[in-house]
Amino acid sequence: MIKYTLQRLVALALTLLVILTIAFLVIRLMPGSIYENTELPPRLLETMEAKYRLNEPMIVQYAYFIRDILGGDWGTSIAIRVNVPVWQVLYARIPVSLQLNIVALAIALPVGVLAGIAAALFQNGKVDHAISFLVVVFVSVPSFVFATLLQYTLGFRLGLFPIVYRASAEGFARYASIVMPIAALSLGPIARVARYLRGELIETVSSDFMLLARTKGLSLFDATLRHAMRNSLLPLANIIIPMFTSILTGSLVVERIFAVAGVGGLLVNSLNASDHPLTIAILVFYSMLSLLTILIVDLSYGLIDPRVRVGGAKNE
Amino acid sequence: MARANGRNSWATPTRAAERDDPAAGAAPRRKILEVRDLAVSFKTYGGTVQAVRGISFDLYEGETLAIVGESGSGKSVTIRAILGILTRNARIVGGEIRYRGRDLTQLLEDEFHDIRGKLISLVFQDPLSALNPIMKIGRQITEALQLSLGMGRVEARDRAIELMRAVAIPEPEKRFDQYPFQFSGGMRQRIVIAIALASDPEILICDEPTTALDVTVQAQILELIAELKTRRNLSVIFITHDLGVVANVADRIAVMYAGRVVETGTADDLFYDARHPYTWALLSSMPDLETREKLFSIPGAPPNMLYPPAGDAFAERNAYALRIDHDQHPPFFRISDTHSAATWLLHPKAPRVERPKVLVERIARIMERRAADELARDE
Repeated sequence: MIKYTLQRLVALALTLLVILTIAFLVIRLMPGSIYENTELPPRLLETMEAKYRLNEPMIVQYAYFIRDILGGDWGTSIAIRVNVPVWQVLYARIPVSLQLNIVALAIALPVGVLAGIAAALFQNGKVDHAISFLVVVFVSVPSFVFATLLQYTLGFRLGLFPIVYRASAEGFARYASIVMPIAALSLGPIARVARYLRGELIETVSSDFMLLARTKGLSLFDATLRHAMRNSLLPLANIIIPMFTSILTGSLVVERIFAVAGVGGLLVNSLNASDHPLTIAILVFYSMLSLLTILIVDLSYGLIDPRVRVGGAKNE
Repeated sequence: MARANGRNSWATPTRAAERDDPAAGAAPRRKILEVRDLAVSFKTYGGTVQAVRGISFDLYEGETLAIVGESGSGKSVTIRAILGILTRNARIVGGEIRYRGRDLTQLLEDEFHDIRGKLISLVFQDPLSALNPIMKIGRQITEALQLSLGMGRVEARDRAIELMRAVAIPEPEKRFDQYPFQFSGGMRQRIVIAIALASDPEILICDEPTTALDVTVQAQILELIAELKTRRNLSVIFITHDLGVVANVADRIAVMYAGRVVETGTADDLFYDARHPYTWALLSSMPDLETREKLFSIPGAPPNMLYPPAGDAFAERNAYALRIDHDQHPPFFRISDTHSAATWLLHPKAPRVERPKVLVERIARIMERRAADELARDE
């Protein structure tokens, strides 16, 4: 297990290096200059280029870039909040985005799991049909469409919730304003979890070991809880990765629709303003999040599934 | 015991008849399970499938009853009905299953918890899928002990290890904490048997317990079941489609076809004196060491149980079928106290027919070998 964890960590570091390289190249290859003002005196330009090492060949720039990052220096923002270290700019925004994403995920998982169980246990009944219908709708419609629809119906027509997010509001008003963004973000994941779990559960419930559990003298409830649930939740770990990343990418757009001052908006702004250090920092932040999720899922898989845990140990 | 002699080949059925002979001084045996006119149907999109159409049999204390029949003859449905684990679209449409006087068909799911696994246990066909792949072996044995018998953790563990030893698992203490994927097929079947035995049941139902195993392991498992049966005084129902397996384990045999019992008798009755053409066909289609010519196979396929035929279901495939077989289902004709068969051929007015030549020759060979065996034993 330790060796496996180390392997995963090394893989993670390598992936991050690749991401950094690609981010560096893509940004340097973008047309345009970081200076919008073309009438700057040549001496000033030279000084500036020397400061950001833009007068060096690309490969040297890359070496400096990597060296700085290894040294913990990610640079300062050059357009959005000039001369403020990029991570500081980012830190201000992260809590807002993360809060949104984590709450959406935290709601999606249990709700999806419950819906999936209900659909599976009442397979082909009314409950199942209703859930399956909603699942199809929620899976196929993207989150930003829901965002707009929610804004129009619940926000504008019914006036139940504020149309945009109000970070400055206190207490109830603030929570009310976060309901719709979270709903928009979590509907898709809820549907995906429910659909997945329903399929898994139906398969497990009709398996031989469930029958054995029942012929052992376990009640249907005990057998389902002890045998079917754990076995079905296991593969669920697999879809949490794409789900987390999809909530993240979905929130890029949804954050803008609800005017949430999160990382998503910041990324768009920094790209528009050619604030390269900030863009790279945000890209790395998103990549790190995805990579960490994958790492957690990989490791937890080992913890839940003995075939991975014990089988892996034997081969070490 | 006589049992030990008959195990080496199918050709020498057990001496069950000798043991059952009241003259030999055996105590009168008590019925432990009594199935009467049991009928089970399944609702499907295509219509109602009559999987079991009124079968009856008895299970006596301490005996092994084999139910033989090809796939789809209703064997597994019958035992699922006994255990109350029929699928949701199945319905018991008639008959009763009396276990020590109680009719199991009338029990509620809650009441079944006191019977299933505690008094009547099941050993599955496929040990590879019968165990939960991500739960430790020991846990799967102790779970029922703890949950339904209320044993403590330590006590349950001791009992599980003792059970694992009883089914000949080497190093049970170490094996206790392993997972199913670390066990071979035969080992897993031993575990499934251990689970079935966990709460000391009276009846052990084995649903083709050796089908998924290779032949050498099959013999070991059969031996284990026979040994456990005598040691724990179990009554065993053995479901199989393999007459070779039956010859080694069964005291009595019920042959099923298309949801009905067509012939029932002691192992000797059925192996030496079968009367139903379907039993003949089954016996003829089984290879033995002397088989040189092309092996007999029953022509045609079993009937579609959505539309069961009016007369004898086997008539379509039966070379011996009489005209009445196509119209009217034959009743049971008694041949002896232990032996009866449902075929019009046994009717006093029926024409006399000869059994298939293959079968006659085979029985002669078996008799010869058996006589030789007995001679060898006496010396």
